Amino acid sequence: MPTDGPVVNVHVLFFAKSRELARTPRSEVDVPAQIVASELLEQLVARFDLTSIRDNLILAHNETYIENLSDKIHFKEGDELAIIPPLSGG
Amino acid sequence: MDHVKLVEDPIDIAHIHQLLADEGCGASSVFVGTTRDNFQGKKVVSLAYEAYDNMALKEMNKICSDLRTKWPELRHIVIYHRLGNVPVCEASVVIAASSPHRSDALESVSFAIDQLKTRVPIWKKEIYEGDHNSEWKENKESFRPKRSVSNFNYLACPCKAEESPDEIAAPQKLVQIRVNDAELAKRVECFVNSKRAEINSQNVIDFKAEDKDLSDSCARTQSSIIKQEKSNCHLKVRRVNNRSGPQQMAFRPNYELELNKLMGSRDFVTDPSTEMKKTLHNSRLQTIELYMGLAAAHSDESVFSRIKRVEDRILQLESISPEYRHFTNLEPPSSLAPTLPKKMRKKSYSAQELGAFIQKLKDGDRDLNIHLK
Repeated sequence: MPTDGPVVNVHVLFFAKSRELARTPRSEVDVPAQIVASELLEQLVARFDLTSIRDNLILAHNETYIENLSDKIHFKEGDELAIIPPLSGG
Repeated sequence: MDHVKLVEDPIDIAHIHQLLADEGCGASSVFVGTTRDNFQGKKVVSLAYEAYDNMALKEMNKICSDLRTKWPELRHIVIYHRLGNVPVCEASVVIAASSPHRSDALESVSFAIDQLKTRVPIWKKEIYEGDHNSEWKENKESFRPKRSVSNFNYLACPCKAEESPDEIAAPQKLVQIRVNDAELAKRVECFVNSKRAEINSQNVIDFKAEDKDLSDSCARTQSSIIKQEKSNCHLKVRRVNNRSGPQQMAFRPNYELELNKLMGSRDFVTDPSTEMKKTLHNSRLQTIELYMGLAAAHSDESVFSRIKRVEDRILQLESISPEYRHFTNLEPPSSLAPTLPKKMRKKSYSAQELGAFIQKLKDGDRDLNIHLK
């Protein structure tokens, strides 16, 4: 993933539709230690063929939702990042 | 106690009742969500559930603590969700609560299922009979991505109209639009704005019932748009709450007359509607004066001198707090800049230059005289 600043390796998890499109439940990705959530999402969408559901994806960083995609995320090595399509529990 | 679990096997409701049992409780409420056997005419064979296990448990525990904050009387809370393949008509989720009184148990369970559908990361896929492709479902309550408005770039959203002749033709009067969410949001916003403008113009017509020239109207009325019951899109317009317009004068009680009657007085009987009409054209200016903290004007004072005082007041306010103009929602100051008067450039002239200038003027004069002769 192209970056300028420091880079860390994180676990990216895929579920439901995003897992099917990415054709894997998890992957390891180098991401910038600091990045705006929407930018990161754009990059992941391009890399894992998620274009068809891009507008409905949410991110969860270490099991916590990123409420606003305009927020900045600070990553540490080995962090967990989940790509979450619209929920359908219940 | 909180009982939160993701389970692979069928959920035993009797067991849930045991978990809820408490001698101090007069109520236990159990919600059981079961899988339906049809969706849009397709027969559902089974449903496959998957979860982001750790986060799902974390969110379910968060729901429990939210419930305890909102309903401190709750004794036991159970949230069980089933994962893997669930045949139709079996329970996929059970939420239960016990409390001394029924309202806490009933309300908390209803709140909890809404929360679960909104934020617990669990997904279901419906598997249909026949050749229909299975489908991931989406809760309408589901948490959706948000972006700060400032970062939202409408222009970056391309608008492409797609046509697919293979599909069944829609009725002529309907238009099918296939665009992304952002474009759709933009169109809805534009539609609301245009509707707003349309209603405003209608209000102006209502307000100026007798005078059909609308070009110079600045009629102000209150109105609101309300959605029609059970309607998908049609807006019913409830318009004009016209409480002080000239048309309303006839409906006003004649307070002065009534008061004079009560007091047994026959003096100064006036018709308030004519009084109002007399002052109406000034009422807006009076409001502005009041708002600006200016003394009430004399009735014989000219409108122009009153406006002048308002202007002076605005200038004074702007000079003591320049940020005042930023609250008025007018054009930003940058766009005003070019219209500001240009600075005069001062230049010093030497006595010689001045002499030459005067000489030139005289020469010009002479030329003119010659010309005239």
